[in-house]
Formats: sequence, structure tokens, C-alpha cells
Amino acid sequence: MVGQVVISGLLAGSIYAMVALGLGLIFGVMRVLNVAHGPLLMLGAYTTFWLFQRFGLNPYLSILVSMPLLFLLGLALQRVLVRRVVDAPELSSLLLTFGVSIALVNLAQLAFTSDLRSVEYLTGSFLVGPFAISKPRLAACAFAIAITAASFVFLRSTRLGKAIRAVSQSREVAQVCGIDVQRIHLLAFGLGSALAAAGGSLVAVMVAIQPEMGQVYTFKSFLVIVLGGAGNYPGALLGGLLLGLVEQLSSLFLTAQVNEAVAYVLLVLVLLVRPTGLLKGRV
Amino acid sequence: MAPILEVDGAVKRFGGVAAVNGVSLALEPGRIYGLIGPNGSGKTTLFNCITGVDHLDEGRIRFKGVPIDRLKPHRIFHLGVGRTFQVIRVFPELTALENLLVVTTTGYAEARARARELLARVKLDRLADQFAGNLSYGQQKLVEFVRVLMTDPELILLDEPAAGVNRTLLNELLDAVRRLRDQGKTVLLVEHDMKVVMGLCETVFVLDHGEKLAEGAPGVIQADERVIEAYFGR
Amino acid sequence: MKRWVPVGLLLLAVALSLYPLEATGYGVRVMLQLFMWIALAQSWNLISGLTGYVSFGHVVFFGTGAYASSLLIVKAGLPWPLACLGGGVAGALLALVIGWPCLRLRGPYFAIAMLGLNEVMRVIVSYYEGLTGGGNGLSLPTLDASLAIYYAMGLVAAGVTAVTYAILTSRFGLRLMTIREDEVAAEAMGIDTLRYKLYALMLSAIGPGIVGGLSARDQGYIEPISVFPLIMTITMIVMALFGGKGTIWGPVLGATVLFFFQEAVWARFVYLHQLLFGAIIVAVVLLMPRGILGVLQQKYNLPRTI
Repeated sequence: MVGQVVISGLLAGSIYAMVALGLGLIFGVMRVLNVAHGPLLMLGAYTTFWLFQRFGLNPYLSILVSMPLLFLLGLALQRVLVRRVVDAPELSSLLLTFGVSIALVNLAQLAFTSDLRSVEYLTGSFLVGPFAISKPRLAACAFAIAITAASFVFLRSTRLGKAIRAVSQSREVAQVCGIDVQRIHLLAFGLGSALAAAGGSLVAVMVAIQPEMGQVYTFKSFLVIVLGGAGNYPGALLGGLLLGLVEQLSSLFLTAQVNEAVAYVLLVLVLLVRPTGLLKGRV
Repeated sequence: MAPILEVDGAVKRFGGVAAVNGVSLALEPGRIYGLIGPNGSGKTTLFNCITGVDHLDEGRIRFKGVPIDRLKPHRIFHLGVGRTFQVIRVFPELTALENLLVVTTTGYAEARARARELLARVKLDRLADQFAGNLSYGQQKLVEFVRVLMTDPELILLDEPAAGVNRTLLNELLDAVRRLRDQGKTVLLVEHDMKVVMGLCETVFVLDHGEKLAEGAPGVIQADERVIEAYFGR
Repeated sequence: MKRWVPVGLLLLAVALSLYPLEATGYGVRVMLQLFMWIALAQSWNLISGLTGYVSFGHVVFFGTGAYASSLLIVKAGLPWPLACLGGGVAGALLALVIGWPCLRLRGPYFAIAMLGLNEVMRVIVSYYEGLTGGGNGLSLPTLDASLAIYYAMGLVAAGVTAVTYAILTSRFGLRLMTIREDEVAAEAMGIDTLRYKLYALMLSAIGPGIVGGLSARDQGYIEPISVFPLIMTITMIVMALFGGKGTIWGPVLGATVLFFFQEAVWARFVYLHQLLFGAIIVAVVLLMPRGILGVLQQKYNLPRTI
């Protein structure tokens, strides 16, 4: 029983980790709390849906479309709006991204209606020993791990990735070192959006798609960032997996509804003991 | 006489670096002390630990025999320790008078009177109702200085009081510090301006790389080879 | 100049008191809602405008008040005025319980914590179906008290504004502002910032608590989604910002302008309404973060009690 829960938790947690990494990049680099992160995920999900609906495109292949597409949207949003609230008090970035979020959700409602959609591609589960592993969840987890791993390789080994980490740590020093901080901001928001889109594409196979589906992911991504420590990218990974585990574990004892409450209590406890997150974060 | 402040083996680490590494010192009441050292030697960190803004990793700090190293800043303040900051921290959208008013817990009228009196002492009474953010650098420095005096603290920590201040103002500040000492207060100041330190302080502590390098009268310190080396290298 | 203000206020109060005699039922309900928004925006201003701590889930006090007072009516049979006051108390208690741990958090973390609190309360209320009716909502005994609620809302709006004035002209208010200006310095100067933040949060929760109860009584029915929506938090924030946070009349101005704007737009552009609201939010944040009164205050060196 516990083993089953752990597996389910890790599977779910890997997606949380990937999506939260996106949010973490945006917060770490720009100190912007992106309330529109959920809607970006939603747009990724819709992209996958329409590609599947119209062209029968394999949902997992559609990631190759949704990620670049939302990357570009992210660039545009940053260029036009978000860059004006970088470094502003958190109220400004919260409100601005909330405004963007409302706009995106409403545009989706106008364009796609609020009807529930779904992508019937992979269903069922297979048994490994005593454990039942849901196929779509496993596939999603595999892709999430791959994408997250690729992101970390990018952050660790490429010049741009290192530049991103540098700006996350200290913008002034990065500038002095000749890093084009504006470009890094653009990149970070684009990447963050792309990761959200990937999350949307992956969950499109598993959940009902509707314009407001992203809100819960926004909240959970915030939780993960705080758990793992702001600006701490490996921390987002840890936080995501932890959240997935906690959710599944609590569903053993409590109903699914109360999961969010449990995650929140966990959040408050962690913040009280270590105000910068589980791993060392930067405020 | 019992020391008014005792720092005992203070250690404070940030990440892997020990900003303060086993510093011990004792302050006798009614004297002016100086704390000098090259940049990064741990002076402000030590100040922060004494005033509760940071907490020690090891060691103890006692004020009038009472351990204060675990207390919150506002409690330490009310015990009788006041401080100013390296970068001026007046409240910009409060007036000069209000900056002082927020500090005391006595009645409003009493606090007002005392605030006006203190401002008058540094010749800022006509600016009492100006927003502190609109005052000049020197004026803000004075406001911060008298703000600390509102509750008549026994130990006053001044973090680089001479920084960015013109000669006249500086002399006024130094006179004010001497008057405080004459009233029986204890003053500890961090300073880079050697002339100020040598002219004002009775005892000087030298910090280098988080450790206490030397301690003594200004003349002695000035001649100490280790101190010279710390500042200028070999 | 100074003498005109109290006279003007008195005239306004009289006019508003007599308004229901002339107006339709619909008119009364519109004004009633305006009072509610004024109370909400003004209350948010108390914590976030004065201390700078962004309460990004402030509607949680509204929802808690709504449920607390409705339960007091339904289960304990209390008359609604008392029950609504109970809603205010419930709000303040919640603020105390959640504020004590969370107000130690810094800026963005506190905002996230408040947002989370809102979600959690919604979930908790849905969960205890036996008590609250869960997703099916809670119905109150039928009662047409629009007129009385109009006056009650008006009183709360006026009350919160008056409290804001009292705070802004007191040393307590000055200390709250030091937290906004420089919290480290405030602590160093002997101000117990946690305690003051807690007081401010509790005070800012009473208004929404009472108003939540009144609103619930007026609607006669509440459900989790309707009383814990993030959009309400955002709306009260934008209203306070638009008028000028940290001022006394800013939230009143902002609430009035935006409320009537919304009423006008809602009627005509139902589908675009939300989109327009999103655009307004973005515009306010980018173009006028200090709000109307904030800008005027700076430009004409107006007193703080504007």
C-alpha cells in the first residue's frame, strides 16, 4: 500500500517538479511571481489537444510544438509586460501576472469554450509485481524526467545556462561580468513558459482540459518553489517530488480534497523552521 | 567595575566563511571604544550580532551580565543598547520628528517634547516636520544619531558615523559623542577614518579576517606592526 | 479648508442615509455592494497599504466571516446583526492564528502563504459537508433585509475608514509605517514588528469578516466558490491601488470609480468584462502604482491624512 503510494507520488511529483522548475526560473532570475504560470500550462494542454484532434498527432510528439510555441509567447509577454515589473515590489508582479492570467484564461474561454476536452491516447495501467502503474502517468513521468534532466544539463553546462544561474545569484555581478541581463530575463521567462507548456502537454492525456485547469498548478508550483527554496533549482526538483509524495500519502488517510490543505500546512511548517526553504534558498 | 558589554568567543558563519571567528572583548562603562579593521574583517557582522540582527553560531554576548545573543533586536534595544547603521536607515516617509517619536514607549506628549529637544540639540528643530527622505545626507545622519538617543540607552553602537560627513558636522557629532561619554554612556564605534578614531576613542579593537588582532590605546595600536600589516600588507 | 471636510462628510452621510427613500430596490442593492467594496478595499489598505505586507488572500477573511456568521444564524439561531459581528470576530481570530507564524515571512513568501490560506480555507469548508453543506452550499432562512443591510454595510465602510484615519494619525500608525519603510531599522529601534503586524492583520480582518456575514445574509445562500474567490482579493487590491494605497480616501475613491465602471461595463460587454478587468489591472500596475491620491499627494505635498 505504502509502496504504491510512493510510486504514485513520485510519478505525479516529477511533473510538479518540471512545471515548478519553470516557475522557479522566472522567480529566481527576475523575482517575479508568475501567477500566469497555470494558464501557460493550460495553453500547452490545448495545443496538444487541438493537434491531436485535427491531425491525430501523438500527444507526446506535440511537446515539440507546444514548448517552442509557448516559449515564444513567454518571450513576448516578458518583452511587452513583465520586464516592467522585474525588481518591483512583489505586489506589482503578482497583480500584473494575474492580469495576464485572467486575459489568457478568458481568451481561452472565448476561443475554446469552457467545454471539457480530453485526449484519449494512453489509458490503463500495467502491473509490476504488486504495484499498478498507470500508463499515461508513467509516460508523463518519463518525459518530465527527460525534459527536467535536459534543463539541468542546460543550466549546468551551457554558457547561457550558467549565465542564468549567475543572474539568479547576483544581477549586479552578472552585469559586471558582461552578461546581457535583459536577454537572460527574456530567456528565463521563455524557458519557464516552455516548461509549463510541457507540463500541460503531458497532463492533457490524463486530466480534463478546460480554461481554468491551470490554477491548481500555479498554486502547487508556488508551494514547490517555497519548499525547495527560491532560486534553488535542484530544490524545485526536491520540492516537486516531496509534494507529490505528501499528496499521495495524505490521500491514504484523508480524502483527495484535503490534499491541498495538507500541502499548505507542510508549507507553513517548513517556512517556520527554515524561512528560505528546505534547501538553501535566496530571498 | 563590571563590564557593560562582554563578547565571549563569538563565531558567526555565512556559508563556509567565518565572518566573525572567535572574537572576545569587554567594554567598561563610561568610555569610548573604537572598532577598526580592513574591509571584510567582520566589524558590521559583530555589530549585527550584538544588536540581534544576526545570531551567533557560537559564543555568548552579555549586556550588563544578561545574555542577549538569542534575543530579538527590539528586546535588546529596550534593554539599553542603541545603534546607528552604516547605510543611513531613517524612515523616509516619516518626518524627522516622527522618526524620533516612533521610538519611545512613553506618553505621546512626553515623547514629542523629548524629540523636539533632541532635534534642537543638533540644530534640526526647524526641519522637524520635513519628511526625512527630503533631508540632506548630513541631516539624515544627525536624525539617525539623535533617534538612537530617544530612550537614553546606556550603550550606543555607531556604525561609521563619519562616513560622508563634512568637517563641521563631523565635529558636532564628535562633540556629541564626548558629551554622551561624560554623561556615563558607553560608546562603541566602527570607523575607517583613522583621525576620528585616534582623536576620539580611548581604547581601540582591531579586527582582521574575523579575529581580534590587537587591543589597546590608539597610540599603541597605530604603532603595532601587525595592525599595519593587516591594513597595508607586507 | 479644514472646516469644510467634516461638514461635507456630514452632508454625505445624510444624503446616503436618505438615499433609500428615493431609490429603487435595485439602487439600494447597488449602493450596498459599493459599501461592501469600500470596506474591503479599506481593510486591505490597513495591512498592506500601511505595513507593506501584501495580503494576497485577503478574501479568506470575507469567506470565513460569511461562513461563521451564517452558521451562527443557522445552527445557533442568532439574529443576523450579532451573527455578522461574530463573523468579524472569526476573521480576527483567523488572522491571529495564521498571522502569528506567517507574518515572520518576508515579502513574496507572505503573499504566497496568504494565497495558500485562501485555497485551504475553501477546501476545508468544502470538506466539512456536514457542517457547512460543502459544495452544495448553505442556505439561510428567507429574509428581506436589504434596507437594514444597506445601513449596516454603510456603517462598516464608514467605520473602517474612520479606523484608518485614527490609525494614520496615531503613533501606532507611524510604527506600522516604519515596518513598510525599513523593517530592520524598526526592529533595531525597539519596535516589536511581529506584534504590530499581527495587530494590523487582525484589524484588517474584522471588516471583511463582518461584511462577509452581511453579504451572505443578503444573498441568502453561500457556497465555497462564491466566498473565497481570488478575483475578489484582486479586485479589492486594485481598488485600493487605483485610489492610492496608504491613504485614507484612496480606497474609497478607487472602490467607487472601479465599482461603477464595472457595473457599466458588465451590463454592456458581458463577455469582454473579465478581459477588460485584466487590462485594467495591468494598466494600474504599470501606469499608476501609487494611485490617484498617491500621485496627488506627492505632487502637491498633501498631508498624509488625505
